[in-house]
Amino acid sequence: MENYTKYKLKSNDELVSLLAGKDNLFIVACNKCFKEFETVDEPDCGEFEKIAAAQGKTITGSVKVDFLCNKIQTEKKLQDMIPEGTENVFVISCGLGIQTVADLAGKPVYAASNSLNYRGHHGMALTKKSCDACAQCYLNITGGVCPIVDCSKSLVNGQCGGAKDGKCEVDSNKDCAWEKIYKRLEKQGRLEEFLNQPVQVRDYSKVNFKFVNDYVKSIRENRLDGYYGGVHPSERKEFTEHLALERFPDPEVVVIPLSMHAGAPANPVVQVGDTVKVGQKIGEAAAFISSPIHSSVSGTVIAIEPHGHATRGECMSVVIRSDGKNTLHESVQPHKDLDSLTPDEIVEIVREAGIVGMGGAGFPTSVKLKPPKPIDTILLNGCECEPLLTADHRVLLEFADDVIYGLKAIIKTVGAEKGIIVIEDNKPDAIELMQAKTADISEIEVVVAKTKYPQGAEKMLIKRVLKRQVPSGGLPADVGCVVSNISTTKAISDAIQKGMPLVERVVTVTGERLKKPGNYIVKIGTNTKDLIDYCGGVTGDDITIKAGGPMMGFVLSDTNVPIMKGSNGIIVVDTDHTVEQPCIKCGRCMDVCPMELSPLYFAKYADEENWQGMKDMKVMDCVECRCCEYICSSKIPLVSKIKAGKNAVRGMK
Amino acid sequence: MLITELKPRETIVSLVDGKKAFIINCQGCKEVHFPEKEATELQKELTADGNVTGILTTDYICNPENMKLRLEKHKSEIEAADVVLVFSCGVGVQTVAEYLEDKKVCAACDTYPMPGFQGVTPLEYKCDQCGECYLNLTGGICPITACSKSLVNGQCGGSKNGKCEVDSDMECGWERIYRRLAQLGRLDALKCPTQIRNYATDDEVSK
Repeated sequence: MENYTKYKLKSNDELVSLLAGKDNLFIVACNKCFKEFETVDEPDCGEFEKIAAAQGKTITGSVKVDFLCNKIQTEKKLQDMIPEGTENVFVISCGLGIQTVADLAGKPVYAASNSLNYRGHHGMALTKKSCDACAQCYLNITGGVCPIVDCSKSLVNGQCGGAKDGKCEVDSNKDCAWEKIYKRLEKQGRLEEFLNQPVQVRDYSKVNFKFVNDYVKSIRENRLDGYYGGVHPSERKEFTEHLALERFPDPEVVVIPLSMHAGAPANPVVQVGDTVKVGQKIGEAAAFISSPIHSSVSGTVIAIEPHGHATRGECMSVVIRSDGKNTLHESVQPHKDLDSLTPDEIVEIVREAGIVGMGGAGFPTSVKLKPPKPIDTILLNGCECEPLLTADHRVLLEFADDVIYGLKAIIKTVGAEKGIIVIEDNKPDAIELMQAKTADISEIEVVVAKTKYPQGAEKMLIKRVLKRQVPSGGLPADVGCVVSNISTTKAISDAIQKGMPLVERVVTVTGERLKKPGNYIVKIGTNTKDLIDYCGGVTGDDITIKAGGPMMGFVLSDTNVPIMKGSNGIIVVDTDHTVEQPCIKCGRCMDVCPMELSPLYFAKYADEENWQGMKDMKVMDCVECRCCEYICSSKIPLVSKIKAGKNAVRGMK
Repeated sequence: MLITELKPRETIVSLVDGKKAFIINCQGCKEVHFPEKEATELQKELTADGNVTGILTTDYICNPENMKLRLEKHKSEIEAADVVLVFSCGVGVQTVAEYLEDKKVCAACDTYPMPGFQGVTPLEYKCDQCGECYLNLTGGICPITACSKSLVNGQCGGSKNGKCEVDSDMECGWERIYRRLAQLGRLDALKCPTQIRNYATDDEVSK
């Protein structure tokens, strides 16, 4: 890709006269979205330092800041950056960066560079001007060749007559745009159509700065509402959001992995040939961070062997042939009512029921319920910000009382003051229902959040609702919160009220390439392929199947894997046919990263295997929400690069 | 990094009138602005008439390599269409038109001019990329964009109570500049020689 330029240093003479009478300079250079794509560091900074030094000036320091125009981040970076004794600040960047610094510095700020006009170089076509954004697109008349940009004279009613041998009379290196237009239209048999067009008149009215300003401001406010960054992927929830839960027919065989949670895999406590019942423990927690597992059917253990697993490749699993009777195990008995249970008893019930975070991460809930720090607020995460998925939405609607019961249990267990159910505004029916159900409960509140991805990420949720910032590397408990998933909360209720361990869950099976989408109550260990077949199978062969949502889900190359505690969805979507292109430093990844990181560096450092660099750029803070990859104009697989970086950084310790 | 708006309904309808159309939506700049709702509604109507051979919603069609890979998957739908209707900025339409040279490729959107949004997606309209930065004389406030009249040699005298005479909701840019300079103790900057703005074309400035 060709290089491009956004600003250049002012001329030597101009700089010399500008420097006259000014000393003790601090230099700020914009380090990204600048000049050459390949360069890492702003080159003009050194050049300017030399000119200043030649004038005998004292330089108090210099700094290169990425995307200086990103006011929110620049403000944080500039704090305390300008050293004592600085009298004048010189900025090397386009006009946006200079003004951002001028607004923030509180000292005289000077421009050492001129912005270059690259109007029209938008889109990805940064190296080529092809659209002047004239607000009155002529392309429909001209066969898709732009006369404003391609004709030196920007004529809109045909050629000037000055072209010689097809070349422009203004610039003999340039093809006559109107000849190009004529040829294109002739080829398409559209000459008649063109010649019959009325004469075009161009509107030269000045850009309405105010319109653009107000407009942009409103968009910006919307984008940054609640927390920095985030994106708005098409929701596509209409496939399943109105479909009531349906019980998936009992499978003949279930394959229950011993690892469906964060931490150590469970140790099997049954043997091949054993008869088991629904809710019977078949695996014991192997460590503090681990979880027991239970049979979801009654029947016979036919194997304990490694089996395909959606996220771990292969995993030791208990295979049970169902007898079709669903006989309950004796241990499945309702517990005492909530008022008579002590917090420790609830934690024990939750641990024994094998409840883990059902949003995907699979962290043992019992550990979460014994936080090391005092908790004041429980956030119930009803955002379900992933596109396509509607499992939590349906649970909220159809098990509202259980969810509220589960929330009360969590509040009691951790001794919190209140519980907040956070629901995105794209689920008005759930909001209405929960508001009505909780109206009389003083310690529970429903908060409606404007839809934005990744709102369901716990750190974003806490920031949005409570305006608290979880420290880097910290946990919600550090700011007095526990965040719980909707399905998990319902599972807590089942464990207390029915004594039923976590043996089934709600799964959304959907996607534009699935014949009959739906929301199903599925037994843990059910084969994913059976689920897809039950939904009518897929259409076409060029499809991608994922466990989870389109943003954070795992690609399933083989659907012969079981549904697990964290399987909130199975989606069948179109395969994305794109290839990675070089990074053009457009900065969009930085603009959408909710953790306020700089993903473009991760792409670069991963390719160089510069793991220390990854660590320094705080790769470990990444929540893998995939916003950067979603927005990337070069389609760089950032998340896999980030994962490689995280693995390497973990290995460095 | 731009705003696109749908062309008038009649224009779009007349482009596909009685013809088979293939529709391409580009949502690469969606986080800035794409009239998603309006476009979807209109396309639903067009589809209901039975004249749409296919709809491809994708991003960054201005990236020719990836656009080709994606369009290939819809070859037959495109071949069956008389016209390809592109909902994107002018760059996207031209990239598609260049690739589908034999097809009638039409723009369904107009691209709103936003010079100055060269930074990371729009923040504020602040820089007109005039190529001759005045910020040194004005305390870091751009007179081109902060003044309705883009005056470079001081206020026009028409402001009332600090508000612009062109737009009474807008603060007078030159009053802001004066205040900033006074605050910085740099009012002498106003004694600079008269500035003359260079209206040369982009290309000339870039050279």
